Amino acid sequence: MSRKWFTLLSILLVLSLVLVACGGNDNVNEPGNTADVNLGEEVEEAVEEEPVVEPTEAPAEEPAEEATEAPAEEPAGDVVALNLMGWSSSDAENTRLQQVVDDFNASRDDIEVTLNFVPDYDTTLQTRLAGGQPPDVFYIDSFRLPDLVEAGAVEPAEGRIDDPDDFYESLRAAFTYDGTFYCPPKDFSTLALEYNVDMFDAAGLDYPTEDWTWEDLEAAAAELSNPDEGVYGMVLSADMARWIAFLYQAGGAVANEDFTEMQLTSEEALAATEFYVGLVEQGYAQQPSELDSGWAGEAFGKGRAAMAMEGNWIIPFLADQYPDVNYGVVQLPAGEQEATMAFTVCYAVAADIPDDRKEAAFEVVNYLTGSEGMKAWTDLGLAMPTRQSLRDQWLEQFPDLQPFLDGAEHAYPWQFIPGFQDVLDTVNNGLQEAFVGSMLPDQVLEQAQEVGEEVLNR
Amino acid sequence: MATGIKGQDREDAVAGWLFMTPALIIFTLFLVIPILFAVYYSFTDWNGISPPSEANVIGTDNYEEVLVGGGIRQSDFFKALKNTTYFALGVVPVQTILALLLAVVVNQRLLRFKDFFRTAFYFPSITSSVAISLIFLFLYQRSGLINNLLETVTFGAWEPIAWMTDARGLIHIILEKLGITLREGPEFLRSELLGLTVWDWLSGPSVALTAIMIMNIWTTIGTMMIIFLAALQDIPSSIYEAAAVDGATAWPTFRRITVPMLRPTIFFVVTLGLIGTYQVFDQIYVMSSGGPAKTTLTMAFMVYRNGFRNSEMGLGAAIAILLFIIIFILTLIQRRITGSEAAY
Repeated sequence: MSRKWFTLLSILLVLSLVLVACGGNDNVNEPGNTADVNLGEEVEEAVEEEPVVEPTEAPAEEPAEEATEAPAEEPAGDVVALNLMGWSSSDAENTRLQQVVDDFNASRDDIEVTLNFVPDYDTTLQTRLAGGQPPDVFYIDSFRLPDLVEAGAVEPAEGRIDDPDDFYESLRAAFTYDGTFYCPPKDFSTLALEYNVDMFDAAGLDYPTEDWTWEDLEAAAAELSNPDEGVYGMVLSADMARWIAFLYQAGGAVANEDFTEMQLTSEEALAATEFYVGLVEQGYAQQPSELDSGWAGEAFGKGRAAMAMEGNWIIPFLADQYPDVNYGVVQLPAGEQEATMAFTVCYAVAADIPDDRKEAAFEVVNYLTGSEGMKAWTDLGLAMPTRQSLRDQWLEQFPDLQPFLDGAEHAYPWQFIPGFQDVLDTVNNGLQEAFVGSMLPDQVLEQAQEVGEEVLNR
Repeated sequence: MATGIKGQDREDAVAGWLFMTPALIIFTLFLVIPILFAVYYSFTDWNGISPPSEANVIGTDNYEEVLVGGGIRQSDFFKALKNTTYFALGVVPVQTILALLLAVVVNQRLLRFKDFFRTAFYFPSITSSVAISLIFLFLYQRSGLINNLLETVTFGAWEPIAWMTDARGLIHIILEKLGITLREGPEFLRSELLGLTVWDWLSGPSVALTAIMIMNIWTTIGTMMIIFLAALQDIPSSIYEAAAVDGATAWPTFRRITVPMLRPTIFFVVTLGLIGTYQVFDQIYVMSSGGPAKTTLTMAFMVYRNGFRNSEMGLGAAIAILLFIIIFILTLIQRRITGSEAAY
């Protein structure tokens, strides 16, 4: 008796526990309810998701009520209710974006946009796309673009965006895939060099300048390091998203122009990797984890590293967590050439919605990325405008952030090919191993090259 | 179960089914159907983004890719299998033995503050594992509490380490102390087996994985203790009295009465432990996301990583099915070894 019982019980346990992870998912993803989303359903759906939504969600109830009354309103003209989904950032930014959206809603009586911030964004987006009920407008990080485009989730923005040439070229490139421009950039960040003024003063060193080279960086880092006290010249992560700036500075590339051949075993790549790893090996730089920090910004704020290479997201972080740090910002040092990385997010329109909704959605996107909406959104000094025409005006307001904005001129987009995550993981692991000496720079690159070729041939 | 419904009223049977219906519906809807879907998707190239109806059936390609493909997916899969196995080998025995000891301790009639200890030991099990993971991230920092504690206990001999980014395998560390390294060791260490070198297979859990294992033991031990405690209280006191009359002392009583009487429970706890460890996900997700150097990449995390981050839901489903098969086989083997009947 008890044997049978236990067999049954253990089978049930195994089954249920193993498949719990896939289970929840599959249910959301069940086929069938594709495309024919009417207004009411769409807004109701947004309300259904309320439990997982940030506090800013409260206004969502309003349109929901409106939608149930929709038939009554119809004679007065159809109101297209659109859903804009994104991830939550700082409170200030969330509130500001809501204001911008409210402004748009006030200016139009035929379109009503509901802004939704969801946690665990990628998973939520993926299940909604697969479920055939995508949000009409949603954020895409440039790195995710190829996967989403390949899956047919994104409506091309080519020819439907006002004055696209006004966007910085590197940002347009970040959302161009296979020659098609898919979505206009919402804002962006570039990497720059942050330095601790007090530590430079104490060491009697000149502050970094725009003309710095790798040699200058290395020399200063060596001077500023004091491993006995746990202080280093620089904080570096085992992260491809930082290492790659050196790759481009060295004149190297991940692959050839049309991405048919990986080029990670080039001399330039080796030089970049040896320099990057060398900083750590020689004791001039250290990883955040070795400096009791979760990320580079924290190590920099704690004064454990005199320099960091992060994007402008570090500014509000330092102001909030380490307001006493006296620091400056310059553009990254140059190798063979100047280069930095641009990390950017766009407003994409879903491919899987009716045409009239698409049109309305592009109007919203045009407003948000147009000069009026973009100006209102970037006025906080947290996000940087992606339109070159707004540059001067913005810099007058926030002159301190100029190095970040100037980076756009020679920034490379953080976007590759579908499935590139495997290469990213491989490079990150390789750098991690190289930092502790269990792999050599050329081995790291060979491995990455091999995985890259595999991904290309899939 | 064997006695069944035979002589029962038909009405009773109908009532029984009626009572079971809600549970059956939920069971079918949220378990049976998703399982069948997962099996189906594991034979497709579904990316998890486009509607599932657009997925193409590709036969056993996903399974071949991870089992014999020879690429990064194969080596990742076996890396995950290796990590998960080390995780289970480390966690299950320790948590079972410690839980049993704790249960015996808090079962003592003469123990004072019994309720306090029971609550204290059980507490980690009912606390959110995400919250615990976040706190342990701080404890495991280089200047964190754990390094400080070890330093104090060893009078400064302990070199502080950054636990969560240390990719060195425990067995590797020991082998290197013995002078055996990958470069200088015997040739067979460099030969490849299922996408990994023999040296990689022998790594042992990395320091980072060990840190998560320790935390995992601490959080799961309470639940196991409760199960043992319930079983202990089920053992008839007459048996102990008989033993006492025969002059048995504490250890023989424990060894020859308590443990054999607990056999079905031990089987149950080990099974739960095996399943739990082979599916460890949340702590990995919060603390390390598979890093450093993929040494905390577990199978369940790989299912998630491939399904969501790499847009390979079909492949993820295939790994989930393989994980199910592995756990199922392990449970059968373990049942052979422990046996589930009380034996005395």
